[in-house]
This record gives sequence, structure tokens and C-alpha cells, in this order.
Amino acid sequence: MRKEKELIYQQQLRQDLLDHKMDRREFISKTLTAGLGLAGVGVISNFGNFAQAQSRPLTPTFYQWIEDLHPGIPQVNSRFPDVNYQIAPVEGFGIERFVAEAKKKDSTWDVYVGQTPFVEMTAMIEADVIEPWDNYIPKDVIDDIIPSIREECTINGKMYGWPFLLDVIGTGWHAGIVKEAGLPDGAPATWQDYLSRADQVIESGAAPFGATFDANGWRSLAPFTHSLSSDVYTSEGLFDFTGDAAIEALMLMKNIMSKSHPDIMLAGTSDGGVNGTPDEVAFAAQRVGYYNKYFNAPLRMAQYWDNPKDLRMGPLPKFAGGEGSTVFWTTGAALFKHGKNKEKAAEYVKALTYDQQIWKDSIAGTETAHPGQLPPYKSLYAGWKSSQPDWLPDFVDLVRGQLDQAKAITNHLFGLQQFQIGKPIWESYLKGEERNPRVAMQKVVDAVQAEMKRG
Amino acid sequence: MSQDLLQATLLWLLTRGETAKVTTGNLAINGPTPKSWLVEHNNWVFLLPTVLFFLWYQVYPIVRVVWISFTDYKYLTNDPANWVGFDNYVEVLSDPLMWDSLGRAAYFTAMFLPGTIIIPLLLAVLIHGVQNQRLATVYRVILLIPAVIPSTLVFVLWKWMYNYQIGPINHFLVEVTGWFTYRNAPQWLGGTDLTLPSVAIMEVWWGLGYHSVFFLAGLAAIPKDLPEAARIDGAGEWQVFWHIILPRLQPIMLILVILRFGTSMGVIDEYLIFGGFNRESPTYTWTIFMYDQAFKTGLWRQGFAAAIGMVGSLAMMVFVTWLIYIFRSRD
Repeated sequence: MRKEKELIYQQQLRQDLLDHKMDRREFISKTLTAGLGLAGVGVISNFGNFAQAQSRPLTPTFYQWIEDLHPGIPQVNSRFPDVNYQIAPVEGFGIERFVAEAKKKDSTWDVYVGQTPFVEMTAMIEADVIEPWDNYIPKDVIDDIIPSIREECTINGKMYGWPFLLDVIGTGWHAGIVKEAGLPDGAPATWQDYLSRADQVIESGAAPFGATFDANGWRSLAPFTHSLSSDVYTSEGLFDFTGDAAIEALMLMKNIMSKSHPDIMLAGTSDGGVNGTPDEVAFAAQRVGYYNKYFNAPLRMAQYWDNPKDLRMGPLPKFAGGEGSTVFWTTGAALFKHGKNKEKAAEYVKALTYDQQIWKDSIAGTETAHPGQLPPYKSLYAGWKSSQPDWLPDFVDLVRGQLDQAKAITNHLFGLQQFQIGKPIWESYLKGEERNPRVAMQKVVDAVQAEMKRG
Repeated sequence: MSQDLLQATLLWLLTRGETAKVTTGNLAINGPTPKSWLVEHNNWVFLLPTVLFFLWYQVYPIVRVVWISFTDYKYLTNDPANWVGFDNYVEVLSDPLMWDSLGRAAYFTAMFLPGTIIIPLLLAVLIHGVQNQRLATVYRVILLIPAVIPSTLVFVLWKWMYNYQIGPINHFLVEVTGWFTYRNAPQWLGGTDLTLPSVAIMEVWWGLGYHSVFFLAGLAAIPKDLPEAARIDGAGEWQVFWHIILPRLQPIMLILVILRFGTSMGVIDEYLIFGGFNRESPTYTWTIFMYDQAFKTGLWRQGFAAAIGMVGSLAMMVFVTWLIYIFRSRD
């Protein structure tokens, strides 16, 4: 028994050395101490959390909203009897706790389900919080991920995110309002069509406002730009604010604003202003006909309607001659470098991401939630195509088609911040304070560069 | 031998440091009858947990922040922090955003502080004058209701109240009075010019009962014969209030002003909830700027963020010193 424990311990030390979790000096010290037998193992616990690791069950931690929106997760957990399921101490994209633990080369958790690549993945890599999945994720799973999503989760050829919940920016509309306005009950194909329909909604009196969007750049400026061209990132990975496509998108936003509720530019009222945004209130209050956001938003807001079945969804409109792309992002799993149970974590995340009940609940909705988030795997869509379940709505196939052209926002340390820094500046054009969109966007570039120079 | 040494040490502690002579297997104490050291210094022994807690959770973080503010410490990297002297301070003081954000916090304080002192003071005086004790108790309870509502509920309540599209305030202004339409109704929250006044109104309402209780306690401590004597001498109610009651409430006002000045300059939660990280927003104060730099932007420049915190704190200290001078006792 004693020899067996010593052997396990030696193997653990060797693995930690290979994983660069300790230097050779520490490795030799610990190995020498281990020579003391079990007494030595007791002493070793002062060096790290080896004893804890041996007894610790798989410990995943989830962003709170994932649990709220996906009630099927406990079912998956039941297949892993020892799992120590937890809610992550994060809000508003905060990763402070993870970074603090990584600095001590420690992690309370093994895997974090809630990572959005363009938002936090680069920061987590910089801070040495996470490690790639490549050594743990089965090859058949890697091959099954839709290529654009795989690209989103990859940095320097390594996959740091295991995609789970896919959010795609598309179009939602209120069929009741649209019909009352005498418009066809279908997705507008072009932005021109979209704008003229929004006008028609207002003129007919069917609703006070024609259209709305979320003013945060990654939810409006970026996808609108992608609908013209997705080749809009600089060589260093930043959004090309001064490119023609972004300028067109900004002018489009101004056009939509003229048919929208006056508070469209205001910050949201939760998660540091990024959630609880005015567009959601307008759509929930049935005051607007058309809506561009990730599908989860119209689905959630339609629950407040007189008839939630009036919700329709489709892809993002195109610019004439445009690429017809959009923006998507996945919320997936990150593997903590200093966590434990890594093989088990991979097994768990695979079970979670392939769970048919979770996808049914997400797409068709449950009594408690209707997130509308989609899977990242080709095989799931192919299975539904070959044998379509009765709960599968049409928009899923439309979105799947768009995913081949869709592109995620490029990963960068300022992937999210560039839009937060830029928003008040490009809004000077949207509000009419600056007449030239290029001047406004050049100021955005200058501000982002200035912030990057600071560090 | 080691046991003897342990005994000697314990005895030393228990005998005011009398020398303990150790011999093999034998222990002798020289000097007068021992008086317990613990008994003599028991005040310090009882204070020790608090002192340690204070040093670890109050003094150490402050010292650490001061040290960090003189380094180029970036939290997202594992690079060691390098000493940069006053570079961070120079950068902070030359950054227009620092001054703008400090100005915004001061603007909020200028609205919040008078409201949070004057209104509770007047309410306390009114309630203090109520002769019917039952009625006075009812008023006190009503006043205290906001103070016992958890912060989360307060924020949710006021977020709904102020909502541009579905909030009751705009509903009243548009649907009931017809003074506005839904195209030009006031935008209370979300980074507009009305956001800081809106938050100030919410904060004043929230602290109404809590602050009134302070003044009610102060009023109860004023001897009743003083205002009565003044009235007999012909003083009006206003003169009684101004010359007798107010001067005796000054110590309470000083405490409240200092406490609330600190909290109002250091507000962060409300700004995060009602304004976000928009740098042009009135709610982007120095506290948000500091948080943004320390935990949001780039490599998390905590050295620079610490300097923001130090500059903000020093500015507050200077102002508090001036406030203490203004409200000093003139008896």
C-alpha cells in the first residue's frame, strides 16, 4: 500500500514536471522528500495540493446564466456520479479569480464552462490560466467541429476552447406586427429591403418603431460589417474600423436608428452595461417590428408577448453584392492548466456538448427557458437533416447554412475592449455630432492604439 | 532538557520576565513572588486578534497598493514588477480621463451629499416634533423601510422605475400628463446627463431613514430646557432651529458628511449597473477607471490602476480635512 502510494506520487511529480508546473529544483526536492515514505508524503502536502488532487472529484464550474438557460445539465451530471458541479465566481466577463489562482499555480476547478473566445481566451492564455485541449479532446470530436468554430477556438494552432453553445447574430421579427403592416412574413434578404420594411411598420402604425439592434459593437457593428465582408481584421488581429465595410456598417446603423426607439444607444442595466439593453425592452414590449441580435435575445423577449408564437427568425440581411456573412461566437469550456482530472474533464465536456436533450431544450425551449443556442458539431446538424425531429424549427437550417460563411471576431487581447473603447467615439457620428463616419472611425482607431500602447 | 526549556519559557511569560534558571531536571525561579504577566497585560492579549486582523486586512493591503503604484505591475503577465518611481503618478495626473472621471465623482457628491444631510435632518426635526408617540413610531418605521431593503432589490426597483420605455416615471410623463412622447421622454439611465442625478435621487431615498435616525438620536440628546428657554425669551422656531438645534447636531453632521463623502466619491456598483464602461458616460468616474484598468483592459495594468486609486484617495483625504475644519466645534 505504502509503495503504491509512493509510486502514484512519483508519477504525479513527473507529470507536473513535464507540464512545467514545477522546476527541476522543486521536482528533486519533492522526490527526495518522497523517499521518506508516507511521512514524506505528508510533508509534501506543504509543497502543493497533491493529496487533495488524489481525492478531488471532477470539479467543473459554470457561468451562472448557462445553468439558468439549460436545465438539462443536471441530467448530464447524473452520468458522472462524483462530479462536484459548481457555479463560477464570475460576472460581466470577469476572470479575476481564475487569474489569482493561476498565479499560485493552483485551481479550485478543473474546467470552466463559460469562456467566450474573443472576449477572454487570449487573456486567460496570457495569464497562464488555461492550457490547450489538444492532448485530451478526441480526434473525432475535433473533426466534427464546424471549421469556422474550430478556427474561433484556436490560437497558434492549439485549441484553447472546447465550443459548446453557439450564438449567431441573425434577424428576428414580430409576425403579428409585420402582418399588420402588410408585409410578407419572411426574413428581409437585403438591408435595403430591411430598411424599407422598417419604414412600412412605422407608417402603417403597426408599431411605433421599425427596427432595433444591440448597440454594443460586437453585436451590431461587427456583424453588420461581416454581412458585407468578413475580411475586416488587421494583421495584428484588430477590427478594421476604418475599412470600407465597417464604414458602410456604421452608416447602416445610423439608418436603422432613424427607425428605432430613441434610447437605443444607452448602456444596458446589468453585467457592466452589456446586458439588459434597451433593444430587448423594446422587442419584449412589442414596440418594434424587426430585431438584429443573437437568437437567444428575441427568443427570451418573445416570452413576454401576447402570443409568443408570433416570433420568427432568420439570417442577417445582406448588403447588395455583399458576402452575406455574420458574426457568431461560442461559449465553451476552458481547461484549467493547474486543475486536475483532465481526461475526465474531456469526457465530461464531450458528454455535455453532445447531449441531445440539451440541444432539444435549447432549440425548442422548455417551460423555464428558451435560449436558442445551437451546437457546434457538424454531425448533429447532419443527423437532424437526415431525420428531422418535429421540434426542430426552420431557422436552424438557415443558420447552419450561414455558418459556412460566418466568422467569429478575431481573438486578441483587445478583442472585446476595442469595441468598448470605440463605442462612445463612433456614436458621435450616430448622434450627428460628427458628420463624417471616417473621421469618427479614425478616432476610434487612435483611441484603441493609444490604449494598447499603455499596455 | 527541551522540556525544561519549555517550562522555563512559560514561567518567563507568567513571571514578568523574571529570569528562570534551568538546571538538569531542576527549575528554580529567582526574585519576588511572581505576578502573572498575562494578568498584567491582558488588555493586549485580548486586543491581539483584532490587531492582527486589522494589520492583515487593512494595513497590509494599503501598504501593498502603495508599493504596487510605484511599479509597472501587470496582472495578466508573470513578469516581475519593476520599480518605476513616480511614472504611474505622472501618467495618471497627465491623463485627461483621470480629471474628467474625478470631476464626475465630485459632481455626483455635490448632488448627493446635501441631499443626504439636509433632507434627513429636516425629516428628523419634523418627526421629533410629533407629540403623538404612536404616530412618531409609525413615521420612523416608514422612514426606515428603504434602509432595510437589500441593495440588489433597490437596484432592480429603480432600474424599473427609471426605464425609458416601460418605467412608471416615463409612463406618468407620457401617458398621464402628456408632457412628453416616447420619442422625447427623459432618458434617465444608461450614460446620459440625467444618469448621475438619477442615481443620486435613488441613493438619497435609500439612505433617508438611516440618516434620519442619526439626527433623531442627536435631537433626543439636546436638553429640552434649552429650546424652551429660547422660546420664552421670544425666539421663533426658525431661530431655535438655527441657533440652538443645528449647532448641537454639528458633530453628527460631521460624522455623516465624512462617511457619506467617502462613500459617494467611491461609488462603483451603481455606476457599473447603470452606466457600464462607456468612457464618455457621466458614470465613468475614477473608481470605474481604476477597475477598468486593473481588471478589464489590456494586460490589467494594476500598477497604473493603483496610482489612480492613490491619487483619488489623496484628493479625498485633502477634502475630508477641509470638511473637518468647516464642521469643527465652535462651542
